[in-house]
Amino acid sequence: MIPSDHFTRFYNEVFKFLESRGEEALTAYWLEISKSQSMLTLDLFRENGMEGMRQYWEHIRIEENCDMDLDLNDDRLELRMNVCPSLSKIQDNDAEPMERYCDHCAGWIGPIMDKLGYHLVYDVVDRQKPQCVMRVFKDKQKALESEKSAQLLMHWSGKLSD
Amino acid sequence: MNAINIEDDDKPLRYSDSGNVHMDFHVATNTTIDFIIKNFGLEAMDQIFSRVGKDVYVDVRRHLMEGNAGELLKHWRHFFDRENADYNIDISDTEIVLTVRHCTAYHHVKNIVPKVSEHFCDQTIKTNNAMADGTPFSIDTEVTGPGSCRQIIRKRL
Repeated sequence: MIPSDHFTRFYNEVFKFLESRGEEALTAYWLEISKSQSMLTLDLFRENGMEGMRQYWEHIRIEENCDMDLDLNDDRLELRMNVCPSLSKIQDNDAEPMERYCDHCAGWIGPIMDKLGYHLVYDVVDRQKPQCVMRVFKDKQKALESEKSAQLLMHWSGKLSD
Repeated sequence: MNAINIEDDDKPLRYSDSGNVHMDFHVATNTTIDFIIKNFGLEAMDQIFSRVGKDVYVDVRRHLMEGNAGELLKHWRHFFDRENADYNIDISDTEIVLTVRHCTAYHHVKNIVPKVSEHFCDQTIKTNNAMADGTPFSIDTEVTGPGSCRQIIRKRL
């Protein structure tokens, strides 16, 4: 068994392998993870909207031991990761980190938000620092406005089928 | 034959976690295994597990290289305890046997996804092989049923 605690270091090896096979391989993999995560999130998000998202990431905050602030506002859900345990483990690792490790988050979350008609603004800030800011909007214009202040805006290209 | 050295150097494990355990990561491992094998073949998956065994678990391997299985023993106890598995470890002069009666990783996945990958336990088999490769030890993994196995450390002859 690769312990849950070590999953991210396994993930890192998977990313490096896929990156060596090309960008499409990475995108396809993140989309596969997105599909898998849909089982845990889609109904909750669809039925409870941003409150459902808050519940999901609150569960993640506790289970993954994240130093994270989570705020549900009238127009958006905002997640501020102060210390990301996932990237922290990649940086505390005897194996080489995948340089674009942070990209996977938008890679799996983005397609779920697209499918549900929400707008994700994922600011990685700096790939070398274990912190980021994620905002989810219902209103597209507000999302576009928010993108302007992002330091390192993350994009995704995968799309979940209907 | 000399007994297997299981000396504990009293240092913490290289990767030692505390706090909560996010068991859903095992679901992502299951998804990953099927994805890699479907798209790149079994050999590619084995290659990734080999890198985990050799490049991530450098410290466990270093201890094995030095003839000490104690670090792997400590690793097993720490993580099987954290994941609340039902297991025991028997130590004799010639072998160390980890018997996992209820693998919580396997059963957690089984409760969530329609089908556990038929290669799910390769993460254990192949990573063990890679950790032991080139060391004075072998680590043989026998899957004894759904979510149960025996992992045996022996000195190579």
